[in-house]
Amino acid sequence: MNALIIFVLLLALMLTGMPISISLGLTVLTFLFTMTDVPIESVALKLFTGIEKFEIMAIPFFILAGNFLTHGGVARRMINFATSMVGHWHGGLALAGVMACALFAAVSGSSPATVVAIGSIIMPAMVRQGYPKGFGAGVITTSGALGILIPPSIVMVMYSVSTNTSVGKLFMAGVIPGLMLATLLGLTTWYLARKHNYPRLKKATWAERLVAFRKSAWGLLLIVIVMGGIYTGIFTPTEAAAMSAVYAFIVAVFVYKDMGMKQVPKVLLDSASMSAMLLYIITNAVLFSFLMTSENIPQAMAGWIMDKGFGVVTFLLVVNVLLLLAGNVMEPSSIVLIMAPILFPVAMKLGIDPVHFGIIMVVNMEIGMCHPPVGLNLYVASGITKMGISELTVAVLPWLLTMLAFLMIVTYVPQISLWLPNLLYGQ
Amino acid sequence: MKFLDRLEEWLIASLMAAATIVVFVAVVHRYLSGLPIPGVQDALIQLNTSWAQELTIYMFVWMAKFGAAYGVRTGIHVGVDVLVNRMNAPWHRRFVVLGLLSGALFTGIVGTLGATFVYELSHTTSTSEVLEIPMWMVYLAVPLGSYLMCFRFLQVTWAFLRTGDLPKHDHSHVEGIDPNEENMSGAKV
Repeated sequence: MNALIIFVLLLALMLTGMPISISLGLTVLTFLFTMTDVPIESVALKLFTGIEKFEIMAIPFFILAGNFLTHGGVARRMINFATSMVGHWHGGLALAGVMACALFAAVSGSSPATVVAIGSIIMPAMVRQGYPKGFGAGVITTSGALGILIPPSIVMVMYSVSTNTSVGKLFMAGVIPGLMLATLLGLTTWYLARKHNYPRLKKATWAERLVAFRKSAWGLLLIVIVMGGIYTGIFTPTEAAAMSAVYAFIVAVFVYKDMGMKQVPKVLLDSASMSAMLLYIITNAVLFSFLMTSENIPQAMAGWIMDKGFGVVTFLLVVNVLLLLAGNVMEPSSIVLIMAPILFPVAMKLGIDPVHFGIIMVVNMEIGMCHPPVGLNLYVASGITKMGISELTVAVLPWLLTMLAFLMIVTYVPQISLWLPNLLYGQ
Repeated sequence: MKFLDRLEEWLIASLMAAATIVVFVAVVHRYLSGLPIPGVQDALIQLNTSWAQELTIYMFVWMAKFGAAYGVRTGIHVGVDVLVNRMNAPWHRRFVVLGLLSGALFTGIVGTLGATFVYELSHTTSTSEVLEIPMWMVYLAVPLGSYLMCFRFLQVTWAFLRTGDLPKHDHSHVEGIDPNEENMSGAKV
C-alpha cells in the first residue's frame, strides 16, 4: 500500500514537469511528514552524507574531462580518422559517421553533444554526396548514443554508486557490447548503402591513415589512460577520472590548441554546474532509496516476484520494457538512480550477475535516447537537420530495430558482457 | 545582485579546478615518492597527502550545493515535460509556476532542516577525520546552498511571471561548431 502511494505521488509530481530531483525530494518529505515515524533527523543526515563518497566524485571529473574535449576540432579529427579507415566501403561517409560517433561519444561522454558535433559536420557532406537526408540523420541519431556503453561512462558510475558494483568491472564489461553494437550499426548502414548504391570514397593510403590516426590519437588516449590506469591498479576510478581531466586539459589547450586559457573558466563553470545538477539528483535519489529500504519495498517486490514464480527470462523482459518506457521521458542518469535500487535486489535474488544487469540497463538507456516519440537524440537531430520528429522516426527505424535486436542478445547472453571482466579480474 | 552572481560562478569554477589539482597532485606525489631518487624521495615521503581525498569530497559537496543554485538560474535542472508541453498556454504557465514554487518550497525546507542540524552540530566538538575541520563548517554548505537555491527559484518564478521567459540550458552546445553555419547548406544541391 505504502509502495503504491509513494510511486503514485512520485509519478504525479514528475508529470507536472518540475525537476526530477525536486520531485524525488518532495515525495520523500511528504511521506515522512504524513505517514511514517522515521525521525526527520535521520533524513537531514542523509542530505549531508548522500554524496560523501569518493567514488561518486568520479562523475564531476569525467564531466570535466569530456567538456575539455567536446569541441568541433576534436570531432573533425575523429571524422578524418574514421573516413580514412572505412570511407572506401559501401556508404563510406555514413560508416565513418558511425565510427566517429563511437569515438567522440566515448571521449566526450555526452550523447546530444556527439549528435551535434559529428552530425553538423558529416551530414551536410553526406547530402552533398547524394545521400538522402534521412539516411544520415538515422545513422547519427542512433550512433550518437553509443557513448554511454563505451567507457568511460558516467551512467555506469551512477549504476555502480547505487548498487555497489565495481566501476572497473563495469567499464571492462562495456567494451565488447560497445564494439559489437557499433559493428552492428555499421553493418546495417553498409547493407542499406549497398542496396541503394550510395557513393563510396576513394580508398585512403596507409600513410594518410597514419597521419589521421596520429592527429586523433591524443583524444583517444584518454580512454586508454582511464582503462589502463584502473585495470593495472595505478589509479582508483576516481583518480583515473581526475587524471583524465588534467590530461584532457593539456591536450585541448597545449596540444590541439582548440581552446585558449581564456576559455578554461567557462569549461570549468559548465562542468561544475552539470556535475552539481547530477549530484543533486544523486542526493535526492539516495534519500528516495533510503525511504524505499526503510519501508522494505524492494524486498517486498522481490518476495512477490519469487512467489509468482517469474523466471529470469520473464523478469528481464519486464525490466527491458519498463526501462524503455522510462527512457522515453527521463534522461539516463535519473532512470538508473531511481530504478537500480528497486530492480537490483530482485535481480540478485534471481541470481543475475550485477555487472551483466548493469550492462542491460545501460543498453536500455541508450535505446531510450533514440526512441520515438521523445528520445533526446531525436530532438537534437531534429534541431540540426530541420526534419520533423515523425519524419526522423521513419529515418531511424532500421538502426533502432538493430539496437532492439542487440538488446535481446545482450539480455539473454550474459557472456557478451561478462567474458572480458571475468577474464581480466577472474570470476 | 550582479556581485552575488559572479561570486557564485567564481566559487564553483574554482572549487572544480582546485579539486582536480588536489587529486592530481596526490596521485603524482604517491608515485614520485616511490621512485628511488636520493634526496627527493625523502623530502616527498615526509609530505603527507592523506588529506587529499577528504578535502576533495568536501570541496565537491560545496560545489554541488552552490552549483545546484547556479543551475536553477541557468535552467539546467530538467524534469519530465512531455505532458506539460502539450497543454495550452495558460495551463502550461500554471504548471511551470507550480514546478518552480515546489522547488522553492523543497529547498526552503531542506535549508531549514540543514540550519537546525548545523546549529546543533556547532555545539558539539565533532571534527572531520583527517583534516580535523569542525563538521558544522563543512555542513554549512547545506543551509547556505539550499537557501540560495530557494532564492534562485523565487527569482526565476518572478522573472517568468513578468516576462514569460524561462532560462533553458542547451545540452547540445558544442564549442567550435555552429550548426546553423555548417547547416544543411548542401541540402539544396
